[in-house]
Amino acid sequence: MNGRRQFMAILRKDLIRELRTREMIISMILFVLLAMVIFHYAFSVKEDADLTYFTGGMLWVTFIFAMLLGLNRSFAQEKDERCLDGLLLCPVDRVTIFLAKTAGNLIFLLIIQVVAVPVFTLFFVSRSYVGDLPQFLVVLLLADLGICALGTLLATISMSTRSRDLLLPIIFLPLIVPVLIAATGATTLIFAEGAGFGDLLARVLFLLGFDAIFMVAAYGTYDFAIGE
Amino acid sequence: MSDPADRRDGATSLEIEVAGLRKTFGRREVLKGLSFSLERGGFLSIFGPNGAGKTTTLRVLATLLTAGAGTVRVAGHDVRDDPMPVRRTIGLISHNPMLYLDLTAHENLRFYADMYGVDDREARITELLERLELSHRRHDVVRTYSKGMRQRLAIARAILHRPRVLLLDEPHSGLDPRAVDILDGLLAEIRDEHTFVMVTHNIAKGLDWGTDLMIIEAGRIVYEHAAGVDHASFSAVYREHVHDGSVL
Repeated sequence: MNGRRQFMAILRKDLIRELRTREMIISMILFVLLAMVIFHYAFSVKEDADLTYFTGGMLWVTFIFAMLLGLNRSFAQEKDERCLDGLLLCPVDRVTIFLAKTAGNLIFLLIIQVVAVPVFTLFFVSRSYVGDLPQFLVVLLLADLGICALGTLLATISMSTRSRDLLLPIIFLPLIVPVLIAATGATTLIFAEGAGFGDLLARVLFLLGFDAIFMVAAYGTYDFAIGE
Repeated sequence: MSDPADRRDGATSLEIEVAGLRKTFGRREVLKGLSFSLERGGFLSIFGPNGAGKTTTLRVLATLLTAGAGTVRVAGHDVRDDPMPVRRTIGLISHNPMLYLDLTAHENLRFYADMYGVDDREARITELLERLELSHRRHDVVRTYSKGMRQRLAIARAILHRPRVLLLDEPHSGLDPRAVDILDGLLAEIRDEHTFVMVTHNIAKGLDWGTDLMIIEAGRIVYEHAAGVDHASFSAVYREHVHDGSVL
């Protein structure tokens, strides 16, 4: 059986469904924009206060919470409409399901970021970081991959529980802290001072390692996670 | 239908072999050592009260649940050790259509065709939609379909990859009489091409279709018989074996 064809089928199905209903994307974009407005007022204690060193944290906290909204939805439709049974009846390697779901979540997160990052820059970043854009994009992609890989794995585990909406944040947030630390440090450095790849090497390698660990973990456990 | 131990010489013609099947949810043992087999081309109707373990049995056959103990083989493949060939061999029609409501009929079937690696995808989808009288609605999202139309599309989903074995879980449940007629017509059309296992509360349907009959109560087979039993006799047997015979 062609794993690539199955991967594309699951991804295409999730994208068509989301583009048609816009359930996830609209709620995530609204959440991100509202969070920025709230941050703007919450941190404006002094008119000329320098928020530069908070920017990385604000950005990644917003994305992680926004992704939680999306992750809850990404399996809810499979579960609610009992389509998960249909999917599991197919002769498909469970890892293919994980990879396709992770790719779908990654695409949704990137769409949110295409809207959110320019708005965030307007609100909070005082210096131009156009010259550091390649470094920023590498950090963004690696952190996104970690968030989506871990999030997809945990959303799969929690979807069969009665209190999945509560359980997912409880297990996801502590485990995503390493990504938050590395991504926040790298992003803040880029926004505040500018940073070359050399300056970011340790954090980029850390993000790569995190992504690799959770991809391997998912490879080994996903059959069990998505089963009974 | 007989115990697999008695049928080893005829193993090549057996499509389904279940021996000592047990399944536990938490502390509750739902299946308590079921053993049965079904010949290729047979139609097994499984009856029993709610909670007897009928659907659990079907879900183990479908590889959706793992057996706690015992062996289950479909088309010669062990469902636990070798599930992929089993999944290619079976189709499941449930009262739950397992369709994506925000996708069109064509998009749903295209998705499942790609998942099963159907080579003649577009031709097969067109053929099935025409056969099920859904061609005119192929580009409408399934959310706008009636229950009967969804059930017809669910049949298309289940037979899209030309499975040898069809598992039916209360397929008539919630259908109006017209939809029941259409479903029965379709089953009649594909009857000769498949082996069937049907879980049902509908004794008339089960007796009409079944070549083999079985009653499960509290996780045990309490009655099994080849077909040829009339409705009144079977109802009496059902009352005799099942505590809550009133479900008839």
